[in-house]
Amino acid sequence: MKPAAFVYHAPETVEEALGLLAAHGDQAKVLAGGQSLVPLMNMRLARPAVIVDINRIRTLDHLTPDGDALRVGALCRQRSAERAAIVATRCPLLHAALQLVGHVQIRNRGTVVGSLAHADPAAELTAVLAVLGGTVTAVGPDGTRTIPADEFFVSYLTTSLDPRELLTEARFPTLPEGVGWSWMEIARRHGDFALAGVGVVLAVRRGRITEARVGLTGVGPTPVRAARTERALAGRAPSDALWTEAADAVREEIDPEGDIHASAEYRRHVAGVLTRRALAEACTRTAEAA
Amino acid sequence: MKLEGTSTLAAPIETVWKMINDPDALRRCTPGLKELKEIEPDRYEATLNVGIAAVKGTYKGTLTITDKQAPSHYKLVLEGSGGTGFMRGEGLVDLEPQGEATLLKWTGDMQIGGLIAGVGQRMLGGVGKMLIGQFFKCLEQHLGEDV
Amino acid sequence: MAVREIALRINGRTHTGRAEPRKTLADFIREECGLTGTHLGCEHGVCGACTILMNGEAVRSCLMFAVQAEGAELMTVEGLADGAQLHPIQQAYWEHHALQCGFCTPGFLMTTLAFLRDTPRPSEREIRETLAGNLCRCTGYQNIVKAVAAAANTLASGAHPDAWPPFARPVEVSAPAARTRRASASGAPKRPAVKKTRAAGGTRRKGTRVRSRQAKRRRS
Repeated sequence: MKPAAFVYHAPETVEEALGLLAAHGDQAKVLAGGQSLVPLMNMRLARPAVIVDINRIRTLDHLTPDGDALRVGALCRQRSAERAAIVATRCPLLHAALQLVGHVQIRNRGTVVGSLAHADPAAELTAVLAVLGGTVTAVGPDGTRTIPADEFFVSYLTTSLDPRELLTEARFPTLPEGVGWSWMEIARRHGDFALAGVGVVLAVRRGRITEARVGLTGVGPTPVRAARTERALAGRAPSDALWTEAADAVREEIDPEGDIHASAEYRRHVAGVLTRRALAEACTRTAEAA
Repeated sequence: MKLEGTSTLAAPIETVWKMINDPDALRRCTPGLKELKEIEPDRYEATLNVGIAAVKGTYKGTLTITDKQAPSHYKLVLEGSGGTGFMRGEGLVDLEPQGEATLLKWTGDMQIGGLIAGVGQRMLGGVGKMLIGQFFKCLEQHLGEDV
Repeated sequence: MAVREIALRINGRTHTGRAEPRKTLADFIREECGLTGTHLGCEHGVCGACTILMNGEAVRSCLMFAVQAEGAELMTVEGLADGAQLHPIQQAYWEHHALQCGFCTPGFLMTTLAFLRDTPRPSEREIRETLAGNLCRCTGYQNIVKAVAAAANTLASGAHPDAWPPFARPVEVSAPAARTRRASASGAPKRPAVKKTRAAGGTRRKGTRVRSRQAKRRRS
């Protein structure tokens, strides 16, 4: 249970880090919080030859409001974001999901951006980025690029990042006043990876849904936006019956896998239940409901 | 772990049958295959370096084709072990003509054990299906090049 | 892979040792520093037995490399008791029979210490959720929850102003250059500044350096 040997670098600037990644390519792994990478290394399921520890790059540790979004720097710890007043007020969906990411000890070191880069199929933050329509910023030998969530998450633990690229920040759009939201997930124990999780954003005006977003985790190789369900909700009047309809629509749309933790049928069923409850809760949070 | 799937290949059944028995096609398309050495007809020594993202393991073992019923059916057994675990997969492949094309149906029974199974349980089924999907996609491309 | 000098601040003292970068913080604390109170349960971040405080926050020391902790203030379970005097949290665990084999206990204690500092009057739900990152095979958790609640009451009474020494409080992480200045400005540590150096293969000269830094502090 000890990691294999590696060459260790702790650059202090983004430029230095990029130089190392360019030199070593897929032989190098970036180390930020380490809460996902180091377990893999300890078990020797991952054996990177080179570790580029970015924890000394202070410029990456920020949480910055930017118009209608929050920019989360690559070194912003999950716990810092969880405790930040600005996240609770401007991006409550992210705030709610953060509280369910692992345990306190994990959030004290783990980073928001690291969770996105790791792209676990049952992670909370990947689904939050997807449902909010957020982006990540990657810097590499060919310059800087902004990648939207639906292009970033490719498969299990796989993103569209080039090995020579470094994620410097993620951008989470904030929710306008009066828009409802909800995050719900189910896990066997508090802090476990979700068997299924749903994040919902709901805008209602004059008794009609003007925007509905439904994002799921744990039901596929990447976070899933239930686009057909979202379209089916647009323009409709909120009601319990509608939420039940949406639950069935989500069940039709997803294609979850089964494993020893939960069968595919269970995940499918529970995803529907969570969707129904999350939509109902999000509706109570809209300005109209007040 | 039971997996199954289908794939439609744009070629007549005899061409597809020939291809899935061709060690070169297997070499080219098996994800992570580093080496495939024939020991005897339809029996090969295989070395694979397979996994997902940073999680990769090297497995050494054998690939055997049995129960051949040309041109429509065979059984493929792949087993290997390595530092991160062991695996044994048994696949039944059935070919059916579908007009000008061939419908390939496969069912597999995969057993994975060791560290990777204990830790990676939640992703094994999905990753397994994905790798097998990659295999057949590659075969489709292979066909496209030959035809 | 280069073996290197690593100097860590643990429980208010500097410990130096030599290790490869791949040596985990947990292993370094146990082996190079001789502080075996921090335990290894799973080594993949699930059980919490290795929990220590880093700059006042509970972290899994098995998921960090020792080199990463340079410049930080660390606290382990050995920093809780004051000689023979148990810390109020330890006292509460003892009184409520919140440990049996004791293997998980150091991790629980460190998590509890940080938790009660930030949440002096927790609800039972908050206690259970915060402790969810520490696993216990013996007790069934009920007595641990009771112990934490009792410790919260004791500490909230204000009778223990020293319950959180400087190295148990959140600290701003500073860049290496700033760190040296900050260390000399921090004032005398709570406990007598007895030099404790565990250097596998280290030389006396390192000990001399530590002594003279402390001597400088006393002079200033």
